[in-house]
Amino acid sequence: MNVIEIKELTKYYYLGRNRIVVGLENVSFNVEEGEIYGILGPNGSGKTTCLKLMLGILYPTSGEISILGKNQFDIEMKKNVGFLPENPYYYDYLTGPELLKFYGKLFEIPEKILNERIEKLLFLVKLHESKKLALRHYSKGMLERIGLAASLINDPKILILDEPTTGLDPIGCIETRDLLIQLRKEGKTILLSSHFLSEVERVCDRIAIFHRGYLLATGKLNELIQKYNAEGLEDLFVKTIAEFDKKGEIQ
Amino acid sequence: MRKAWIIGLNSFKESLRKKTLYILLVVAFVVIGASKAFSWLTAEEELKMIKDISFSGIEFFGALIAIFMSLTAISSEIEKRTIYTLFSKPITRQNFFVGKFLGIVLIILLNFILMSLFFTGLLIFKKSPPDVQVFKTLILIFIELILIGSITLTVATFASDAFNIIFSFFLYIVGHLTSYGNQLADRTENVILKGFWKLLYTVIPNYENFNIRDKVVVGIDVTWNYILKTGIYGILYLAVILLIGSYFIQKREI
Repeated sequence: MNVIEIKELTKYYYLGRNRIVVGLENVSFNVEEGEIYGILGPNGSGKTTCLKLMLGILYPTSGEISILGKNQFDIEMKKNVGFLPENPYYYDYLTGPELLKFYGKLFEIPEKILNERIEKLLFLVKLHESKKLALRHYSKGMLERIGLAASLINDPKILILDEPTTGLDPIGCIETRDLLIQLRKEGKTILLSSHFLSEVERVCDRIAIFHRGYLLATGKLNELIQKYNAEGLEDLFVKTIAEFDKKGEIQ
Repeated sequence: MRKAWIIGLNSFKESLRKKTLYILLVVAFVVIGASKAFSWLTAEEELKMIKDISFSGIEFFGALIAIFMSLTAISSEIEKRTIYTLFSKPITRQNFFVGKFLGIVLIILLNFILMSLFFTGLLIFKKSPPDVQVFKTLILIFIELILIGSITLTVATFASDAFNIIFSFFLYIVGHLTSYGNQLADRTENVILKGFWKLLYTVIPNYENFNIRDKVVVGIDVTWNYILKTGIYGILYLAVILLIGSYFIQKREI
């Protein structure tokens, strides 16, 4: 069953004086329940634009977005979605538990359940010993981890993660990877945007490759490797992008 | 409304951390306190000076605090990218905007109470406890400050900080002169000019409506009827401003 359906999604940025930048161009894909779907692409390929559109942060120029059968602005739908932005920045005067409480209250989670969940999540992301530390004293890795905890505060059915391992050390990366696999086992659907190919290769059931706002390829990794006659994900990534750029030059 | 309140409380806490707030508050205390320096005047004249300077100080520094605190309430969320996480939560953009407004109201209220208490303390020290006319003046100043803050907050939904600060100060000055516009409209023969001045008088908030301190200082009583009418004018203007802000925040691309 598809829990996310993106149909012909297009986003243009109007920069004035008739300057238009393509954020996304006619992108369509589906994410199935319980899978980890990886969005790959170089910087500026439209990954983050796609996620922002899905969360109703940006307005699409055209196209449709359906998450759990609802549109991207639906409040009930958002109660079932967790989001970790790229390089997360939070209210730095709050402590970790205060931040989680703030977001938890927006989900209208009952106080008792919220407190229990905060404790559990702080242990999960290994920040239980930094409870009294304000976020301004957090390292980049700690911020990433509290961000991950914040994205799980509502026990979401769908988790949208934008570059979740940026700033993490190798151990942190492995732990995050293991956590994603664990969350998939619990039945959560994960949409993971990353430009770390090895990370995507290890955890994702299906992938999508974005470049210059276009969706170049989507499907199971082994099928795509076969289709493009590639030697692995890295080769597939380079080939699809090079092929697209070559077409563009010819045109 | 509950979600707006949660956002408002968080916004209030954030505002409390801004140094500008404390600098303005300290200067306001100095100005209000300095009104005591006129001890060479007769007791009655000195009291008038204390009231006049204190009312003006509370209004002016309250306006500065309202403008500066509202100015970055939205833009800092965008700059620091905290808005992305916030908008991914089950809140509407109206929840966010109203929350920011409530945060501004709280910070204005806190500063207003602190300045008013200081002023009241001065009056009590001068053995002239504040009467009902003083409270009437303070009520109208508070409504004016909320209006000033809400206009800056609304402009922040579609304009840059630089434009907003210039616009807010311009409006603050023009809003105190708008009654002259009405007088000019009455005197001019030119239909276009008359229409222009009338339009300005109607659209621009008339902050002078909230200024009864000149009367109160010289002992002229202002009726509750006037306070009620001016309060309703302020609330209606506020409602329109908040509706405009809600419209623009809904439209805005982040």
